[in-house]
Amino acid sequence: MNTVELNKIRKSYDEFVAVDDLSLVIRPGEVYGLLGPNGAGKTSTLRMMIGITVPDSGMVSLFGEPLRRAHTQRLGYLPEERGLYKKMKVLDQLVFLGELKGLSGHDAARRARQWCERLGLKEWTDKKVEELSKGMQQKAQFIGAVVHDPQFVVMDEPFSGLDPASAVVLKDAFLELKNAGKTLLFSTHRMDTAERLCDSICLINHGRAVLEGDLGKIRAGYGKRNVQIKYEGDARFLHDPKLVQSFNDYGNYVEVRLAAGADPQELLRGATACARVNKFELMEPSLEEIFIEAVGKANA
Amino acid sequence: MRNTWLIIQREYLERVRQRSFLVLTLLLPAIIVGAFVIPSKLSRMKNSKTQRVVVVTSTPQFGEIVRRQLLASTKPGEEASADADKDKDKDVDNDDQPSRDYAIEVDSNSSEPEQTALRNRVTSGDIDGYLWLSDDAVAARKVTYYGRETGGLMEKSWLRDQLDRAILLEELAQRGVGGAQADELLKPVKLETMRLEAGRETKANERGTFFAILIMVMLLYMAVIFYGVSVMRAVLEEKNSRVMEVMLSSATATELMAGKLIGVGAVGLTQIGIWIVMAGVYALPALAASASTGEIRIAPLTLAAFALFFLLGYFLYSSIYAAVGAVITSEQEGQQLQFIILLPLIVAVFMMGPVMRAPDSPVAVWTSMVPFFSPVLMYVRIAVQPPPVWQIALSLVLLVATIAGILILCARIYRIGILMYGKRPTLPEIVKWLKYAKG
Repeated sequence: MNTVELNKIRKSYDEFVAVDDLSLVIRPGEVYGLLGPNGAGKTSTLRMMIGITVPDSGMVSLFGEPLRRAHTQRLGYLPEERGLYKKMKVLDQLVFLGELKGLSGHDAARRARQWCERLGLKEWTDKKVEELSKGMQQKAQFIGAVVHDPQFVVMDEPFSGLDPASAVVLKDAFLELKNAGKTLLFSTHRMDTAERLCDSICLINHGRAVLEGDLGKIRAGYGKRNVQIKYEGDARFLHDPKLVQSFNDYGNYVEVRLAAGADPQELLRGATACARVNKFELMEPSLEEIFIEAVGKANA
Repeated sequence: MRNTWLIIQREYLERVRQRSFLVLTLLLPAIIVGAFVIPSKLSRMKNSKTQRVVVVTSTPQFGEIVRRQLLASTKPGEEASADADKDKDKDVDNDDQPSRDYAIEVDSNSSEPEQTALRNRVTSGDIDGYLWLSDDAVAARKVTYYGRETGGLMEKSWLRDQLDRAILLEELAQRGVGGAQADELLKPVKLETMRLEAGRETKANERGTFFAILIMVMLLYMAVIFYGVSVMRAVLEEKNSRVMEVMLSSATATELMAGKLIGVGAVGLTQIGIWIVMAGVYALPALAASASTGEIRIAPLTLAAFALFFLLGYFLYSSIYAAVGAVITSEQEGQQLQFIILLPLIVAVFMMGPVMRAPDSPVAVWTSMVPFFSPVLMYVRIAVQPPPVWQIALSLVLLVATIAGILILCARIYRIGILMYGKRPTLPEIVKWLKYAKG
């Protein structure tokens, strides 16, 4: 039973098609990344997935059944920008959100306190939301999304605008949920974040899925066509068009993209011929490269 | 239902706990006291100065009658005790009396030089004015009062009434009718009206009815202006932040709207309730007195209608504010729409007069069915002359259905409006949204 199944969902606003026949599957217990540039349709997709909006066509299934109202109690949602009542005290707010999800007031208060303690908000529970820093508000928002212990947590750009320390705290909480067997879905336009956290991804561009599935498999499918080289001496070997399609010099090392059909061993021989090679490693392509290539293909 | 209840609680408690709620609750009565009580106290103080008036007439005997008449009618105690029937109408007459004291001097010299002298005395402040009652003027029933202040309308009509009476007394005296006999002849008529209702006869009480109507309409108007805007603001605030998304991931738009409307509405009712209690405590002695004399008597049916139609009217207009809040993107836009929202209420207030005069006319019957008017007009009809039960029932059903309809409509707009930031939709767009938002 998959946690989420989207089957050819489509949503348009007037002339603009935000989501175009998008299909994806999220399995229980995995961390799923919805990736794409700004305006690709990530938020629109998330909204349809949790019932805030309804697709024009296509089918949304949660927990193996067509989406219905009752499902909302089993999922948590963290919107892109802070969505809390500014004038309300933090704890009151979290209890209110928990109660809306079906908790008793007492349970909601207990769990909200536990979470606040864990995320370092303990001293702030009696403060109004507007008195909190942006990072703390985001933590409170996160607690609001998970206070009712949902099986499925949906987060829209959870790391955007966070300082590194807060981002780490949030990431740890994230992994804690994953280890507790929850299914997590988040959207981001940061490929590196997704690369570190996700089991599976869906890359979308202009409302269409460009790539979808297990991250490892997607990468493997693109082959090892990148080489990281550390060397001292002559860099002539980088300019052989038969072997090197392009390269990026990062100062400490060079990342080389092999030309189609090129043998990496040949590049190594060429390099040793004119320079001293300290490191030569075949690499999987980064998500960013995959994305750029996939979008290039889709547009071609 | 649980969600709606939770939302009602949140909206209510968050607002009532705010300091501004307490401040407004205490401040408004203070302002009202400041605006009405203090000036009236001040004006009474100023008027307590004795007015010195000279009555000029060639007949000293007539001058004496005028003097007595003027002095008697400014001292309520004397006249009331002289009048055998000290009933409530006494108070009504007293309303027209000037609140100041008079010192009257009779001058029998009605020559030209005397007039010049009197003018000078007025100018110098020695006297406040003089009444020129020459024989010609009295014969023509056209007399003139010269004074530094010529007084308000009330005072003028009071003066005229007293002079009428003085002239009559004088004429009667000349015809040999005087003293108690003259008073007997001049005794005014008192009209009492009885209301016949299902065979029972009750004292008709126009004043009570009128006050009951006036108070309710004023309360409704005030409540709509004060709290309708807070409903609008509550919807708008949530729409402009992303709280709405969080809420919609837990509750339906209809639950949200109903919760807001009732929650914010209850805050208004609480505040009005507190004010009514405060006013009640302030006015309790007066109320108790008038209740014992039966001056203001309001039928239980009228009271029930008051509560019911006030509540429904309040929620109807608040729901319109909520709908506006769902459409607009900033408060300024809301202020521009304020008048349009209130227009039906204002029309209803204008219709009150005709409906009160003819509560059974077709116009009254049909306008009191229209949901936007019925909170005022059906209530007026019930207070003046209870209409058939089916008419009351029909207007109630229509009213409740309209409120529900507006709420659902507004939930749809709200739900779609989520996708539009920063741009106010045009009317065709709203219509299109409503079609979209079936799900």
